[in-house]
Amino acid sequence: MKILVPVKRVVDYNVKIRVKPDGSGVDLANVKMSMNPFDEIAVEEAIRLKEKGVATEIVVVSIGPAQAAETLRTALAMGADRGLLVKVEGAVEPLAVAKILKGVVEAEKPGLVILGKQAIDDDCAQTGQMLAALTGYAQGTFASKIAVEGETLAVTREVDGGLQSVVLTLPAIVTTDLRLNEPRYASLPNIMKAKKKPIAESVAADWGVDPAPRLEVLTTREPPVRKAGVKVASVADLVSKLKNEAGVI
Amino acid sequence: MSIAATADRIDSNLITLGREAVAALDGLFAVAKGAVRARVVVDGRISAARVDEEQRATHGLAWLATYVEALREMVDYGERLTAAGTFGEVEHDIVAIAFGEYLAQVFGGIPMNQGEIVRLADLGVPAEAAARARVPAVEQLITQGSTPATRARLVAAMARLEGAASTYGEAGLDETLDQFRHEMRKLALDAVVPHAHEWHLKNEYIPMAVVEQMAEMGVFGLTIPEEYGGLGLGKESMCVVSEELSRAYIGVGSLGTRSEIAAELILGGGTEAQKAEWLPRIASGEVLPTAVFTEPNTGSDLASLKTRAVKQGDAWVVTGNKTWITHPVRADLMTLLVRTDPDQPGYKGLSMLLAPKPRGSDAEPFPAAGMSGGEIEVLGYRGMKEYEIAFDGFTVPADNLLGGVEGQGFKQLMQTFESARIQTAARAIGVAQSALDLGLRYAQERIQFGKPLIAFPRVSDKLALMAVEVMVARQLTYFAARQKDQGKRCDLEAGMAKLLGARVAWTAADNALQIHGGNGFALEYPISRVLCDARILNIFEGAAEIQAQVIARRLLDEPS
Repeated sequence: MKILVPVKRVVDYNVKIRVKPDGSGVDLANVKMSMNPFDEIAVEEAIRLKEKGVATEIVVVSIGPAQAAETLRTALAMGADRGLLVKVEGAVEPLAVAKILKGVVEAEKPGLVILGKQAIDDDCAQTGQMLAALTGYAQGTFASKIAVEGETLAVTREVDGGLQSVVLTLPAIVTTDLRLNEPRYASLPNIMKAKKKPIAESVAADWGVDPAPRLEVLTTREPPVRKAGVKVASVADLVSKLKNEAGVI
Repeated sequence: MSIAATADRIDSNLITLGREAVAALDGLFAVAKGAVRARVVVDGRISAARVDEEQRATHGLAWLATYVEALREMVDYGERLTAAGTFGEVEHDIVAIAFGEYLAQVFGGIPMNQGEIVRLADLGVPAEAAARARVPAVEQLITQGSTPATRARLVAAMARLEGAASTYGEAGLDETLDQFRHEMRKLALDAVVPHAHEWHLKNEYIPMAVVEQMAEMGVFGLTIPEEYGGLGLGKESMCVVSEELSRAYIGVGSLGTRSEIAAELILGGGTEAQKAEWLPRIASGEVLPTAVFTEPNTGSDLASLKTRAVKQGDAWVVTGNKTWITHPVRADLMTLLVRTDPDQPGYKGLSMLLAPKPRGSDAEPFPAAGMSGGEIEVLGYRGMKEYEIAFDGFTVPADNLLGGVEGQGFKQLMQTFESARIQTAARAIGVAQSALDLGLRYAQERIQFGKPLIAFPRVSDKLALMAVEVMVARQLTYFAARQKDQGKRCDLEAGMAKLLGARVAWTAADNALQIHGGNGFALEYPISRVLCDARILNIFEGAAEIQAQVIARRLLDEPS
C-alpha cells in the first residue's frame, strides 16, 4: 500500500510571533520555519506502517513556496521515500490545497492519506475533511490510534466526550491528533540519505487549480496585553467588584 | 574615508572597516613578532630556554595572533553572510561588538585569563608602532563598535529569538548542517537536558540508553570514512554535533571525543587489518574507546612517560600507572600509550597499543587480569567518571600494536591533536552557549526593583558579550575545521580555537552564574553545574598555558 502524507511549512512552534506593524499579517522575515507538528505525526505514523510491512511506499507532498522543499527533506530524512513539491507563492487556503491534493491522489492512487489535523499557523483544520469530500473517500479525523485490518482501517478518534472508534473502508483519509505517536528524530545518516531522494516539482496550474485566496484578511492584531490586577481592601470589596465590574457573579 | 554611520550603528561599511582593521592588525602583529623573536633568539636560533623565560611575551604573542585570526574570521563570516543575503541586524551587531571589544583589548590589554592581562608593551612593541596601527578604521570600530545601544539591541533580539533560533546570529553553515543542529538539539532537549543536572549531582553515569540513542543517530561514525561504516563527513559536522550535545551536557558532548581520538589514531596510524577490525565498530557505537595517555608524573610532558610494555610471546605485557582516564570502566577499547623501548627515554621509545578490555561496572570496574583502578572524584565534567589505573601484567595481543611498528606512538598521537582540539573547542562553544541560555532565561524571569534583571544594562551587557564571544569562538573553530577538511595543516588554528573557546566558556559560565546571584551558588540551579563543567576546558586537551606555548613556538618558528 502506498501512503500519501501532505506536509506544510509553518512558523516554528517556538517562535514568538510578531504582527507586522501595518496589521497585514504575521512578520515572517528571518523567522524560523519548520514542518507543521501535526504533519510530523502523520509522517511518523506512515513510517511505522511501513516498518510493520503494511505500507510499501511513502510519498510526501508539500504545497507552498520553493523553501517547502526543506520541509520535504525533513520528512525524507525521517524515512519517507520521495517528495512532491507543488509550488505556490503567497497564502494558500484549505480548499485550494484539497483540490491540488485530489489531483495528487488521482495520480498517485495511495491506499491511505494521512494529514495533520490542522496547521499551527492558520488553525483551519479543514483540508483533510475537504479532501475526503472531493475524493469521496472515507475519513477518520483526529485519530489517536489507527490499525489496518485487511481492507479496512480502524480509527480511534479523539472527540469531546472521550474516544470514538470507527472502521473505514480503504482507501481512506486520516487526520492526526497529538497523541497518535511521538515523531522520531531524523538520524544523521538518514539526513544524508535524504539528500539523494527525489523531489518532483510542479505548480498549481499543472493540477488545474487556481490557488488564489477566496478570503480576504482585513486585519491581524496582537492579542490584548494582560492588564495589571488591583488589590482590594476587603472581601466585600472583592465581591462587589466581581459582581459589578467583572460581571462574573 | 567616509563615516556614514550614526553614533550607534556602523551599517553597510562594517565589513570594509573590519577588513581595514585586520590589515592594520596584521602589520601590528608583524612588529610584535619581530620584537618577541628578538628576545628569544640566541646565536641566530630560537632558544627554548629563552621562550620559557619570556613566557609572558611569547604567550602574549600567541594571544595577539588568536585575536587577529578571530577578527579575520568575523570579517569573513560577515562577507559570506552578506553574499548569502543572511547578514541581518543580529549578525551585524555581533560583528560590530566583536570588533569594538577585541580591538580595544588588543591596544589596552588582552586578558589571557582574569588576572593576567598582556599588553603590547609586554611584547616589546614600541609605542609609535602601536599608534601607527590605530588607523581610522580601528579608531571608528573601537568607539562605535560596542556601544550601549548596540548591545541593548542585540539582547532585545536575543530575548525575541529565545527558544526559536538555534544560535544567536546565523551560524553560517549549510542547510544540511543546520538540519544536523536542529535534530541534535531536539534529541538533547528531550533526552539530556531534563536529566543532566541530576546525573551531575548524583555523580551518575550517562545512561547507556542515551549512549545507544546517540549511536543510532550516527554520532560516533560522523567523520569515519564510509568504507569503514561511517558517514565520511568533515570536521565541521563534528563541530555542530559536539556543540549541541555539549550545550545539553558536556559529558554527552564528550562521549564522541574518545571515539574521535581512537578513530583518528587508527585511521592515521593503523594497519589495514586494524582499520577493518575497529573502525566499523567504533562508528556504530558498539565499541566505546577510552584514551589512556596521562600518567601521575606525565601530563603535558609526554616524553617522560614511564608505563612499560614488554613483548612476551604473542602478547604485550603492560606495567605502570595511568591517571585521568575518562570513561574507562564502560569502555571496550583503550588507546594505550606505552614505552616499548626503555633505551629510548624520550618520544622515540613510545608506542600505541589498541588494548581491548571487558566492560566493567561500579561494583567491579576492571574485570580484567592485571588491571585495577580507583575513581578520581571531580568538580564537574562528570557522567563518564575519571579513574587512575594501575597495570600490572595486563596483556594486549601482539598484533594490536598500532601500525605494527614500534616507536611511532608519539607521532601517531600528534596527528590526532588537530582534530581533538577542534572538537574540544566545539565542546567549549556548547558549554558557553548553555551558560548563555541559562543566563538569558533567568535574567527575564527574575524580577528585582520592579523589573526583570535583563532591563539592567550590567546584566544585559553580560548577555550581549557572551553571545558575541560565543560567535567569535564558533567562527574561529569552524575555520579550523574547514582547514582540516581541506587537508591543510591547522594545528595553529585548532590551538587558537581551543585556547579562545575555553576562556570564553569560563567567562560565560562565571557571568551567567553572576546573573543568578545567590541562586547561582545553590547546587539546585543548573548554572552551578555549568560553572564546574566549564572549568575543565582550560585544563584538558592542552592547558591554556601549554596551548599558548605551542602556538607561540609555531609562530616564532615560521620565518617572518
